Amino acid sequence: MTHFWAGTTGSGVRSLALFFTTLAVAGAATAELPKPYQKDGRIGYVLTDKAWVIYEGDGLEAQCPQGLNASGVRQQFAELFPMDGDQEWTVKETRLMREGRMWHPETSEESFPYHDAQGEIAYGLNLDGKVDADDFMNPDGVAGVDNQLQRAIGCTPGWRSDGQFVHFESLFAIGHSYNRWMIEISGVDDLVNDDDVTVTTYRGLDDLFTDATGDGFIAGGTQRVDARWGENFIEETKGKIVDGVLTTEPIKKARVPWAMRFVGYYDVLDFQLKLNLTAETAEGIFAGYVNAEQWTNRLNRNWGSHHQSYGTVSAASEYRAMRRLADAYPDPETGENTAISGAAEIKLTQVYILHPDEE
Amino acid sequence: MSLVLECSTRRFKKSKSPAFRAAGITLLGLCSPLNLRKLVRMNLTNFLTVVVTSASMLSAASAESEVPSDSKYWQSAASTEQEAYLEEKLPPGIQVVATALDGPVYADAQGRTLYKWPVSALRNGSLGDRAFGPSNCTEEVLRTEVGFMSPYPAGLLLPYADESVSCVQAWPPVLASADAVEVGKWSLAERADGTKQWAYDGFPLYASNLDKKPGDVLGGTKISSGGDGGVVRVPVGPLPDIPPGFKVLTSSTGRLLVNDEEYSIYTWDGDEANTSNCVQECLHSWTPVRAPQIAADNGDWAIIKHPSGINQWAFRTKPLYTHNYDTRSRSFAGSDVQGWHNVYTQRAVTPPAEFTVQDADFGGQVLADSRGKTVYLYNCRDDSVAQLACDHPDAAQDYRLAICGNGDPEVCRETFPYIVADADAQSDSSLWSVMAINPNTGRRAEAGEEGTLHVWAYRQRPVYTYAGDQEPGDTDADAFGEFYGTRNGYKAFVLRDIYSNYAFRR
Repeated sequence: MTHFWAGTTGSGVRSLALFFTTLAVAGAATAELPKPYQKDGRIGYVLTDKAWVIYEGDGLEAQCPQGLNASGVRQQFAELFPMDGDQEWTVKETRLMREGRMWHPETSEESFPYHDAQGEIAYGLNLDGKVDADDFMNPDGVAGVDNQLQRAIGCTPGWRSDGQFVHFESLFAIGHSYNRWMIEISGVDDLVNDDDVTVTTYRGLDDLFTDATGDGFIAGGTQRVDARWGENFIEETKGKIVDGVLTTEPIKKARVPWAMRFVGYYDVLDFQLKLNLTAETAEGIFAGYVNAEQWTNRLNRNWGSHHQSYGTVSAASEYRAMRRLADAYPDPETGENTAISGAAEIKLTQVYILHPDEE
Repeated sequence: MSLVLECSTRRFKKSKSPAFRAAGITLLGLCSPLNLRKLVRMNLTNFLTVVVTSASMLSAASAESEVPSDSKYWQSAASTEQEAYLEEKLPPGIQVVATALDGPVYADAQGRTLYKWPVSALRNGSLGDRAFGPSNCTEEVLRTEVGFMSPYPAGLLLPYADESVSCVQAWPPVLASADAVEVGKWSLAERADGTKQWAYDGFPLYASNLDKKPGDVLGGTKISSGGDGGVVRVPVGPLPDIPPGFKVLTSSTGRLLVNDEEYSIYTWDGDEANTSNCVQECLHSWTPVRAPQIAADNGDWAIIKHPSGINQWAFRTKPLYTHNYDTRSRSFAGSDVQGWHNVYTQRAVTPPAEFTVQDADFGGQVLADSRGKTVYLYNCRDDSVAQLACDHPDAAQDYRLAICGNGDPEVCRETFPYIVADADAQSDSSLWSVMAINPNTGRRAEAGEEGTLHVWAYRQRPVYTYAGDQEPGDTDADAFGEFYGTRNGYKAFVLRDIYSNYAFRR
């Protein structure tokens, strides 16, 4: 899966040590939730890393046989408005026209090539309960995975594991507490196997608890719940833990903060979690559908044309792909799907969640 | 009609929810989401009855929200509170003028606010004036973009390329007489034509052709700039008359008093004039702002003896504190505690009564219209070598129309509607006015022009709502446009932001 910027870079040995430590902890915890991380059958985790995930195990040639998308904002501008001739271009007919297309995208055909990702494997979950022709298998061979987002953005450099979004989105999320998203699992008798737990999502108020390097995150921190402003981030669902893996029932709409400098979140529809749990970490994915309009709004607001140019992203082109590949939530009038399935890789670290009545 | 739902277990109340609030539903206790759903199911019949009965109330939901006159952010027009400042020697003809948002500023003999243009780095180069350097605002006719904002190249023809516009037309230099003499922080810069230009702290000074009367500060603000919004002009003024250890910041609601680490300063209704009653339990949450032994009373400022024996600062007879639970600078969290207030040297005057204050999901509060829809300000600076403002109706509208409607005025009006006002509406605040706009062009309407819209304007710029905002407090168009809406786009009218230092967005 994706290699995150924070918490993992340059820490292979440390990660390996942590892995074995974690195994030991998990092994010792088969009977009950390991102390000191439990409280009244509750354990909380705070999000430290997140990225929309693309399965890259097939190799670039197989996944993007026509090559990566190389027509981002800057390249499209250069193609449309060559500056090396005698023609004088106006701001209105060039820059402002392109910005207009970006902020008011449309689905009409355009001349720029856009390559969808190929392949049969993707991370994600079976969101619609069906195994369709356009579904993927997950890397473990389970069929029916819904992840059309991978097709839409999988061949665009900015979105791949070495692109700018994986780096910057975690970087800014770490520094900007608006992004402090948490889950609390309650009713936990056994962190390895428990067929009936409750999972609640929250937004937190506080900075992350890091180690001395500033790159790693330490279990045992505290996060206050943002009960006033973060009300719309609070959702609850049921779940189960099997062999240390938490899966949840769908949440109709879960709000996940996703802000770089200003405001932003994704309303993830039919949101589900699949996380490998230890007493100190929760790692895995969330999956669900995102409305294509909201996706583009968030992309543009978080990453304008300057930033999209880092990774040959063009929101105007990407929107066309999103709408073409959207696979759920048909518009009642047109019948066209409005939302696209996808998955994000997430990492969380254990945290004590402080509720308002406990402060 | 009202319905009371009582939760038997922890944890959250949804009393903020407009639907619950509008339907007259009160939540007792702390309800988890599942508890809420169960309760709603249990009370479904009553709930539906309430909702149907209260359907007409939904549109009036914002009537229950905070109205500006109740708010902690502003002061009434009758208030005489103004920021005191340190007097310094001034050149002949230079004066100090009080302003509504930025406090005291320097002005020329005609009362026009003076601005500096400090050099600042953009993505592809730097522009502006360097301290004690020459003015870079010249008479050169502006034709093309300089290409400093990325990702667009230099050489694109500006919308006003055929109109012989220059920097000095928009920003007339403040010229000094040939026999002018430098005094204090006031120095003289020589312009290319040999004339002398006044400079303050080494920065050449300009007036703005947007300012029409004394007290106007329409060419810029002291609110800090993020950088990618262009190289901005900043009004120049005297230092506030405050003791060491304090600062005054221009916020979206006035001149906020903070300590030198920019943590907020508070006062308490439980105190008496120059007497602190904050002892014992009170001190768990609040810390008196200590005054040194050698300091003396001065103007609005007094040193009082806190019951613990320490010296404490008082401002306008009110003892001052910091809030022990403020985790971030510039906070308003202390004002959430009953009886406690942030301190300003002067606040902006209350906006027109039809506006409201709404909690926003981003973690803070915004100014909103009467329906609760977030108010947006439009920001724009072109990418010419002069970085001219394009955010007002007297500038080219091409920039705004591209962002709000892909170049189509009709789409603009649907996407970012103006906030319509009665033609004869008045505002107590000089920052707010009613402007006659031609909605097809975005420019000021001529007298009697057909289709004229009368709209609310803030600092002589129309304000807008966003069609995509569905509920009160939604801010889906904050940072809508180039470079987070700072360069050419929209930003929410933010009054408070609990998470970031972008509390006072520019």
